Amino acid sequence: MTINVDRPCGTFDSNYYQAMEIFRTPLRKFLMIAFIVLLYAIAFILDDYIISILIVFCAFSIGMTGLQIITGYAGQISLGHAAFMGVGMYTMAVFQEHLGFNFWFALPLAGLVPMIIGMLFGVPAVRIKGLYLAFASLAAHFVIVYAINNWRSVTNGTDGMYLHRPGVLLGIDFMIDKYYYILVLTVTVIMIYFAKNLSRTRLGRAFVAVRDNDIAAEVMGINIAHTKVLAFGIGCFYAGIAGAVGGGYYEYVNVEWFTLTDSIWYLGFLVVGGLGSIFGAIAGAVVWKSLDELSTLVTPITEALLGGMAFYASAAFSLVIYSLIVIVVLVLEPRGINHRWQIIKRSYRLHPFPY
Amino acid sequence: MEDLLKSIMLGLASGGIYALVAVSYVIIYKSTRIFAFSQAGMLVIGAYTFWQCLVVWSLPIWISILITLAIAAAIAIIIERVSMRPLIGQPILAPIVVTLGVMLFLRGIALLFWHGEVEGYGEAFLPLGVWHVGFLSLPKIQVYGFIICMLVIALLISFYKYTRTGLGMRVVHEDHLVAQNLGINVKRIFQYSWIFSCAVAVIGGMLLGNIQGVGLDLDANGLIAIAAVLFGGLESFGGAVIAGLAIGIIQIFAIQYLGALLPGEITMLVPFVFLLLILLIKPYGLFGLVRIERL
Repeated sequence: MTINVDRPCGTFDSNYYQAMEIFRTPLRKFLMIAFIVLLYAIAFILDDYIISILIVFCAFSIGMTGLQIITGYAGQISLGHAAFMGVGMYTMAVFQEHLGFNFWFALPLAGLVPMIIGMLFGVPAVRIKGLYLAFASLAAHFVIVYAINNWRSVTNGTDGMYLHRPGVLLGIDFMIDKYYYILVLTVTVIMIYFAKNLSRTRLGRAFVAVRDNDIAAEVMGINIAHTKVLAFGIGCFYAGIAGAVGGGYYEYVNVEWFTLTDSIWYLGFLVVGGLGSIFGAIAGAVVWKSLDELSTLVTPITEALLGGMAFYASAAFSLVIYSLIVIVVLVLEPRGINHRWQIIKRSYRLHPFPY
Repeated sequence: MEDLLKSIMLGLASGGIYALVAVSYVIIYKSTRIFAFSQAGMLVIGAYTFWQCLVVWSLPIWISILITLAIAAAIAIIIERVSMRPLIGQPILAPIVVTLGVMLFLRGIALLFWHGEVEGYGEAFLPLGVWHVGFLSLPKIQVYGFIICMLVIALLISFYKYTRTGLGMRVVHEDHLVAQNLGINVKRIFQYSWIFSCAVAVIGGMLLGNIQGVGLDLDANGLIAIAAVLFGGLESFGGAVIAGLAIGIIQIFAIQYLGALLPGEITMLVPFVFLLLILLIKPYGLFGLVRIERL
């Protein structure tokens, strides 16, 4: 993953630093910057509905990138990612409500608190590989949901809590959705840049080594326990930030927003997007949330067709269709959308020749 | 003393079903090395199918049981054939995500057909009422449920022990390659394992539906049984049974004695905190195999 084997035409690496660059060619760098500028620019063109979808895309891209670090880079399985996202939201809300922090100071804390909690839950699982982190994070899900439901003095129980967006800063009023979108996009770009960069660092390579063969990694002097716990912690940090910026958009958070089902979709759509690459994580998040948006769009139609049964029907259909998508993609294309994208890119690059 | 005995009896009654569900996980894990989360969904499907046959269509009880088991076997074959067999040899993540997907798929199917309403068998399945033994009052459904669970488990273990197919399955538990070399059809064994496991899960679902009401929330019991599987060790039937009973008793004790200290509903919390403790203290469980790997 670190060293990209598919070189663009005419690029020759003469040292390791070139091989490990984030942007392999000036054209790629330019295209990426142009794409990000475009994402900023469309904030001023689109209406609030599309903006709301884009904010959700951004927030879940951050969360999915976190899961990519846990699962795609370090090879651990987390079944509590949605819960950690919830911890981020609640951290934001609690620090704002009870301690009077503003958004800017609460945001890093909304990452750090889930990170610490995640690392605590990760500790029991480091001794064995494979399934066991999945069990530990499953337990984490139930413990977190129980704590939020019942620690009423802090979390307000099942009633939910209110969050606040940042107020006016440098003359920008973040209460307006498009400016809040710009804030979320900035956070997303920074977080994804760090995730991309992580794969080039010593720690990122340690993650990949642990994923590929943990005994071999240990022989090479990597402390497996530290690496696994840290991977889980960093992933939960991302989940927390994702929850904080996403919850900030709705300015409200409720414990029913993050269920075990959401955690499973997180994992499932990560695989749909493609394991081990940031593009895959973003693609997975976008596909997942587009499907969500699609299912709310077709709700009027199902209501017209089914009448009172529409609520069950739409809930059941989303369960059935999402799980079918996940299963079919895993069986037919286990490497996900990312792999398809690589194939398209390669065939474009090599155009007149088949390979 | 009376309270203690009562709690133990109640714990055993719910623990028997946890043991049964735990066994259904172990059947698949032992032969295919896959942890089939989908069995939590099978509980719901089993309970609802049985309710459909027994109450809605008012079929006789034996035919209802047979239909439910047949549907369980059909679902098992489909799951194994369509989604699990192409994933043989894939890294561990792929089968886990697929079984999780199947779990939600089954939940979605149940929601689609039965709209998530909580139903009950009434008097159609097991006799209602209470037995009084000394100072203990034992609800009949729980006693019968416990006996049925133990019978099914005993039947299963004797199948493994005394039949030729069971012998083949035990060989597959040891090593897939060796089994293949001995002329055992490993894929067929995988299929059998899924069928047995789903049948066991469906029986668990019927019994749970009788006690807790037929509803979508039954799959929570499947998740609690995960704690039992882990406590017993992923590879051990005996361990699963002992651990299932233990989880049931621990749960009741915790509700009895800690319920006053902790606010809210702690039925889900207790097994999972226990699971974390197991992972900390004895991660391979009571009777699990400690795998030593080489480079």
